[in-house]
Amino acid sequence: MLTKHELERYDRQIMIEEFGEEGQEKLKRARVVIAGGGGLGSPAAIYLAAAGVGTIRIIDRDRVQLSNLNRQILHWDKDIGRSKVASAAEKLRNLNQGVKIEAINETITEANIPQLVAGFDLIVDAMDNLPSRYLLNKAAVEKNIPFFHGAVYGFEGRAMTIIPGQTACLRCVCRGVIPGEKFPVIGVTPAIIGCIQATEVIKYIVGIGELLTDRLLIYDGLSMKFTEFKVKKDPDCEHCGHLVKGE
Amino acid sequence: MAIKVDISPLLNRATNGVRTTEVNGDTVGQCLNHLVKQFPGIEPTLFDKEGKLYYYVDIYINRENAYPGELAKPVNDGDELSIVLAIGAG
Repeated sequence: MLTKHELERYDRQIMIEEFGEEGQEKLKRARVVIAGGGGLGSPAAIYLAAAGVGTIRIIDRDRVQLSNLNRQILHWDKDIGRSKVASAAEKLRNLNQGVKIEAINETITEANIPQLVAGFDLIVDAMDNLPSRYLLNKAAVEKNIPFFHGAVYGFEGRAMTIIPGQTACLRCVCRGVIPGEKFPVIGVTPAIIGCIQATEVIKYIVGIGELLTDRLLIYDGLSMKFTEFKVKKDPDCEHCGHLVKGE
Repeated sequence: MAIKVDISPLLNRATNGVRTTEVNGDTVGQCLNHLVKQFPGIEPTLFDKEGKLYYYVDIYINRENAYPGELAKPVNDGDELSIVLAIGAG
């Protein structure tokens, strides 16, 4: 049941025909893990908090550095040296006091991932490295939790939504990334991709629209083009192949 | 056969910013070999020393993933190849 305050706060999105009060109530009950509080995690968290997602758990082990500030918009000059999740939680709570924010300052590992995602409805992949993305993808497949992938490089970004057992997973599509430890990126790229991830999350929770499944969306900011590529489940995928073969 | 190739922006340096071109070939492998002749600088990013595509290179034919066995896949006049490099930053 929405309060009078919530009805007013979310009035403009409740007005969306497919959304309504029922959609807002679904958002209020939703529990979302955002893995990564950086370039992708910042816009995703901001827009999910603004939309009224009931509980957001944000996980990141890093501290804010000066070189983060061109893109990680939850963190400001005053936050340099502070844990990213503490910095993020402060901003998100100030943005929307009606949202419960859980800040987890931990490294995501194979050992702790079951606890980190237990009791949550979906996972946003806002990581900055492939091994952690694979851990999350594998856990999402094993625990049947929808997984919302995003990645960036320079002016290029991509996004894909994964419904375990039903659609291609990240491992079906991605066998490794171009080598390198430090990647170029301009803030507008994760802003766009993080917002696409948040859009997909909202659509999934509310149960409307067509999800970005079995489709890899690539955004090219330099030529300002969005291109969609068809992807399919890989029967030999080491994460979800057993589900594909069982069909 | 004329095949259009859409090249990842991550290869901009090796192609001097050229993003699309035309190549000839009956298979993906032949098309990529022709592409390398046009832009020799892309070869070390696409192929290992044994001539296999690196694991982070994805080839799409008419926007459909050509994995696995990409290099042997046939192409037809008017097809479009896309070279996509996997990325992981966030």
